[in-house]
Amino acid sequence: MLTSLHIEGDSLLHRLPVRVKLIALVALSIVLFLSGSLVLQAIAFVLAAGLYLSVGLSLKEAIARVGFVFLTIFFLAAVNLFLLPVGEVATLTLRLMALVLFAAAVTATTTISAFMDEITILLTPFERLGWLRAADVSLALGLVLRFVPDIFARYEAIREAHRARGLPIRPLTIIGPLIILTLKDADTIAAAIDARGFRRQ
Amino acid sequence: MNTRDLVLIALFAAIVVVLGLIPPITLGFIPVPITAQSMGVMLAGCILGAKRGALAFLLFLLLVAIGLPVLSGGRGGLAVLAGPSGGFIIGWVVATFVTGLIAQRTVREGQAETRQFIGFFLASVLGGIVVLYAIGMPWVSAVTGTPLLTVATGSLAFIPGDLLKAAIATLAARAVYAGYPLLPARA
Repeated sequence: MLTSLHIEGDSLLHRLPVRVKLIALVALSIVLFLSGSLVLQAIAFVLAAGLYLSVGLSLKEAIARVGFVFLTIFFLAAVNLFLLPVGEVATLTLRLMALVLFAAAVTATTTISAFMDEITILLTPFERLGWLRAADVSLALGLVLRFVPDIFARYEAIREAHRARGLPIRPLTIIGPLIILTLKDADTIAAAIDARGFRRQ
Repeated sequence: MNTRDLVLIALFAAIVVVLGLIPPITLGFIPVPITAQSMGVMLAGCILGAKRGALAFLLFLLLVAIGLPVLSGGRGGLAVLAGPSGGFIIGWVVATFVTGLIAQRTVREGQAETRQFIGFFLASVLGGIVVLYAIGMPWVSAVTGTPLLTVATGSLAFIPGDLLKAAIATLAARAVYAGYPLLPARA
């Protein structure tokens, strides 16, 4: 149900470590936002598009992934045409498209476990301060992935129950039972986690 | 943090993912289709309270960032966060916190039902609409260059739908509060 947006492959971005890619993404956004040069944004856009298309996605899939975000960008660009000079609109639009494409390329070339390793490292200072434990973050993430299919099955069961009674399917009558039924499991799950000593408390 | 709170946070993040899988509803009198997921902020704040609600959304944000297609319509990844509406998604964390803060201050056990409804509705509107737009709109304006006033005018189209969401979230939160109260047990 929850399949990662990562794509197998051996492109340049696949081989780079996550940290380099994330720093590159941050650096690119800072540089592009500080610069008002249309030429620079256009170069960044062409490079980002080239990178994104070289990660091994089919053209259809590649367009589908950024389609919705591009739609918002184009809509706002169309509005901007009435309010701002054309050159500025082009700069702003190219900058956003370049960033979105580069971000999509990073997502497509990085596995969840690579991201999690990096997040664990980023959380180390907070762990030293005693604010949280990196292991808890991974545990919570694992719990979400484990329980999404269960909760979706529960949603379908409640929907079927509505159908069987000839009731219209309304968010209100579905969300209440769905949340109560799901959260009521919390005690059992917490007891199961503690019984196995996963958190070493 | 005890294990139960950790599990509640994870389960709520999972509920928000599932709300994104439910097909959006279109209503005749409102121009924008209503996605169940966008009610998550109000629900998380009103049901789990400020701290746990905000942590549930921080966890959800993490799922988006590491490339899981958990946003409604199967979207996800860093591209969405880099796009114009990234501010709204990051704003969810703060909006949930404020919603929870207000709900914790206004709703108590033993109050008349109407007062609880008013408390939850107030929390949903102030946190889930006012705070969220206060973060999301300047963000749109900053990254796209569209003047803030234009963005604000355009956003008015979403307000009727948002008020309806706040009403649904209020009723659902109050039902959960009556059936399985979690708000008082503050994390």
